[in-house]
Amino acid sequence: MATTIASITINSTDLLTDELSLSTSTTLTAAGISTGLVGSGGLGRKKLASGHAQYVLFDGDAYTNGAHKIYLKNTSTTASEYFTIEINSEQMGKLYAGDWAFFPWEANADTNDIKIDPSADDMVLEYMILIDE
Amino acid sequence: MATTTAAVTLTSDLLSDNMSVSASTTCMKAGTTADGLDMMDYRYLDIASGTNWDLSNADNSLNKNKANKVYIANHSTDETYYVIITIDATVVGRLYAGDWMFIPWGAEDATADIEIQGATGTNTICYALFHEGQTLHAGGDTV
Repeated sequence: MATTIASITINSTDLLTDELSLSTSTTLTAAGISTGLVGSGGLGRKKLASGHAQYVLFDGDAYTNGAHKIYLKNTSTTASEYFTIEINSEQMGKLYAGDWAFFPWEANADTNDIKIDPSADDMVLEYMILIDE
Repeated sequence: MATTTAAVTLTSDLLSDNMSVSASTTCMKAGTTADGLDMMDYRYLDIASGTNWDLSNADNSLNKNKANKVYIANHSTDETYYVIITIDATVVGRLYAGDWMFIPWGAEDATADIEIQGATGTNTICYALFHEGQTLHAGGDTV
C-alpha cells in the first residue's frame, strides 16, 4: 500500500510569552480504514490571468465522495496578491503570497467544486490532490 | 511583530518516484510583509458523535476579510472516527482520526462560521486560530 505522510509544524517564539510549537504528522488513508490513499492528481502549477476568475480547480462532479486531500500554495512574492478559495461558492479564505493550505475535501456533491479567484493577472498557483479512489 | 511560521511536508511512495513537497510560510496580516498575525485562540476539546458546534464564530466581532489561519487536528486514534468540517453550511471535508488541516479563513461575513460535527465516536480535537484581532463582547454581569 502507498504511504503518504503529511506533517505540519507551527512555531513562534514571540506570539506568546512562552514559545509556541505545534506539530502533527499523519499517514493519509482512505475514509474510515487504514489503507493508504492510492490516487494523486500530481503536483500541478498553473498561471491564472484575470479572465480566470472563479476558475474551477477541482470539479466536485469528477470525484467520488471520499477522504481526498488538497494542497494549495500561492507562489506570488507580492504581499498584496491573493487567491480567494471557494467551495461550492462559499468563500473559505484568501491565500496570500507565499501562503499554503492543506485540507480534507469530501466532494460530497456535484456542486462542491473548489474554485480559485486570483486578485491579479498572471498569478501562479501550485496544487495537488490526493485521491480516495 | 510576532513571527509565526507554518511549515508542511508531504512525502509519499505513491508514485514510481518518491514524492516530497514542502512549503513554509510566515503568517502575516493581510496584504503586508511588515506585520505578522499577532492574536491567537487555542482549544483542545472532545466532540461527541451527533453534536454540532461553532468552532470559529464569524459573528464574534472578528475582523472581516483578513488573512486569518485555522489549524484543526483530530487526535482520535480509532480510524473510523471523524468529524465533518463545514463553513456556512458548505461541507469542506471529513477530518478522520489523525488528520489535520490548515486553511486561510476570511470570515468574510457573519454567517461564515467554521462548524464541526462529530460523526462517529468522541473525537479529541486540537484547534488554533491565528488572527488580526477581535472586539470582545461586553459582559452583562456587574459585581
